[in-house]
Amino acid sequence: MLSVQDLHKSFGDIRALTGCTFQVDRGTMLGFLGPNGAGKTTAMRIVFRLLRAESGTVTWDGSPIEADDLIRFGYMPEQRGLYPKMRTLDQLTYLGRLHGMSKNEARAAAERWLERFGLGDRIGDPVESLSHGNQQRVQLAAALIHDPELLVLDEPFSGLDPIAVETMSDVLREQAASGKAVMFSSHQLDLVEDLCEEVAIINQGSVVVNGRVQTLKDAAPIRHLELELEGDPSILVDSLEGVQETRTDGDRLTAIIRAETDVRGFIARAQQAGKLRHFSYTTPSLSDLFREAVR
Amino acid sequence: MTGLRTLSQVALREITERARSKAYLATTGLTILIVLGLIVVPNLFGGGTAETTVGSLGEGNDAIVTTAVELGNANDEPDDPPSIAIETIQFANRDGAVAALEAGEVDAVLVDGEEVIVANVGGFGGDSFLNGLQRSAGTVQIQEVIAEQGQEAADIIQILTSDPLEVTSLAEGDPAEGETRTITAYFGLLLLYLAVLLYGTWILTGVTEEKSNRVVEVLLSSVRPWQILGGKIVGIGALALAQLLGTIVVALVALRVTDAFDLPSIEIGAVLNLLLWFLVGFLIFAVLFGAAGSLVSRSEDANTIAMPMSMTAVVGFFVSIAALNDPDGIVAVIFTFVPLTSPFVVPVRTALEAIPLWEYLAALVIAVAAIIVLTRMAGRIYAGGLLRYGGRVKVREAWMSASE
Repeated sequence: MLSVQDLHKSFGDIRALTGCTFQVDRGTMLGFLGPNGAGKTTAMRIVFRLLRAESGTVTWDGSPIEADDLIRFGYMPEQRGLYPKMRTLDQLTYLGRLHGMSKNEARAAAERWLERFGLGDRIGDPVESLSHGNQQRVQLAAALIHDPELLVLDEPFSGLDPIAVETMSDVLREQAASGKAVMFSSHQLDLVEDLCEEVAIINQGSVVVNGRVQTLKDAAPIRHLELELEGDPSILVDSLEGVQETRTDGDRLTAIIRAETDVRGFIARAQQAGKLRHFSYTTPSLSDLFREAVR
Repeated sequence: MTGLRTLSQVALREITERARSKAYLATTGLTILIVLGLIVVPNLFGGGTAETTVGSLGEGNDAIVTTAVELGNANDEPDDPPSIAIETIQFANRDGAVAALEAGEVDAVLVDGEEVIVANVGGFGGDSFLNGLQRSAGTVQIQEVIAEQGQEAADIIQILTSDPLEVTSLAEGDPAEGETRTITAYFGLLLLYLAVLLYGTWILTGVTEEKSNRVVEVLLSSVRPWQILGGKIVGIGALALAQLLGTIVVALVALRVTDAFDLPSIEIGAVLNLLLWFLVGFLIFAVLFGAAGSLVSRSEDANTIAMPMSMTAVVGFFVSIAALNDPDGIVAVIFTFVPLTSPFVVPVRTALEAIPLWEYLAALVIAVAAIIVLTRMAGRIYAGGLLRYGGRVKVREAWMSASE
């Protein structure tokens, strides 16, 4: 388990981290969310000892992370970086060897990943000749080549086309399913909601929300209600308790209501008002939680 | 051990990737071509005869011209073409001779064996020709004086063009050997100087490149800074040495084939001594260049940041030239103990047998200690500098932000 406790870090007058705390268990995928400049990259860099925190601890399975532990981890930095002129296969083999693999192991793993990403016919080409999306795939392969126990990816989905997003998602799911601890940062909240069981939302240097996505949603003080009838739904609004926000759009009504509101009576009234075509009562989306958290 | 294994991985990548690169192959080819050119080309043109034309007015000029030719060719090998040849044109009057001089038809005009008219005094080549004429005129006069006492005129030329004094040096062995050692030391010095300036820049730009294409963040997430820096220095250093040795071998072969220069035979001890100090010197500067490379993000800034190291190498070079003249002097002794200049000074003093053993050993210990200390410091500056982008990172900032 990766455990980050109460990290503090400043750059001059800028306070990048002000008590950042979160955990990533083996076998889970954590979505690391936050507005630009919230401190996501800084926290990730501290995990990899690229930056030194002023205070706080970072542990893996209970012991502080030392330089020697790093070869068991995989990192994909936000600023992608590969040797532009080096051949793709050589490049991945080299990075595998830096992580302690033998030449044959590294080469076999590099070939396997490139094959998996559909780059089997490009292994001899220099990285600079690949498209942006393919370079990103190679970058991911570079983080995965040595079968790391912990995978940390900074904005892995940015700039990818839908097909590449699909591949990337599949790989991350597999990694988590096979017992790895996986964390990644992203601004694509729908994607995070789809992929991650857990999220940590960081704002102005500290984690403000952290936990299982479902638990966080259940614990949210609001619910979303949506209905559509044949007839005017606006007459129903007054009979709804605990309303925070409503909007009617033709025969469609959407409302944000307090979580404790009992909607059973409301459904009955709605059925009397007209034929009910659609009704939903849901916990808020991750986007709602995010907006609430960073407000 | 795994630390060194990683370092050698980094070094190996530098070697295989760079040795394949067009830039490396091109610079190697170009260096060898330039060296070959420097050896072969003067040999093609320099072997010919310098031809001049002298105007003659009045009597008594022929003896001077004849003597000038004899003096100029006195040291020629029998099979070679003569070094100089002088053609004489007789003039009837001074105006005609001056007109010919102004028209460039003659290089000088001799008048009655007592005067020489030239277009102007000074300039390259002109003076040495004039000096030659003066010397031969003097010789002619001495000949006349001596001839009255019955000596052979030809003996005078023999005496004037030989080294009549036999040289005895207090240094042990053949005096020529001392000269050989000095020449060897001088060349060693020159090579170190060139290697530092040329290959130091390779290391610097190599580090800057990794920083500017951002691959360094991937590397540093698993590898320690000193392993990357050390591996780069070893890898690039090995390639640099290969290029240097290749060039030297080509140069030696070319010198032997063209017979342009008498190669001294060098003792193996002197070569090993030079090699040792070459490696020490190269390593010290390489570490500094590597650390400097981490402070800039763009290769455009690399030259500025290289300045302090280049200047130090220049100082080391000039101090050791001074040491060639005065190997026991206070300057030479002081700079023996400064780690950045000792690799330049110590080989010179060793070659001239002007360094006590304890000074030699102390200089070596200081230099090696400096490499170790500088590597640690450079590793930290490197680690701190690499992830800071934008303009130039200050050494202090890099030092403070490093995590080790």
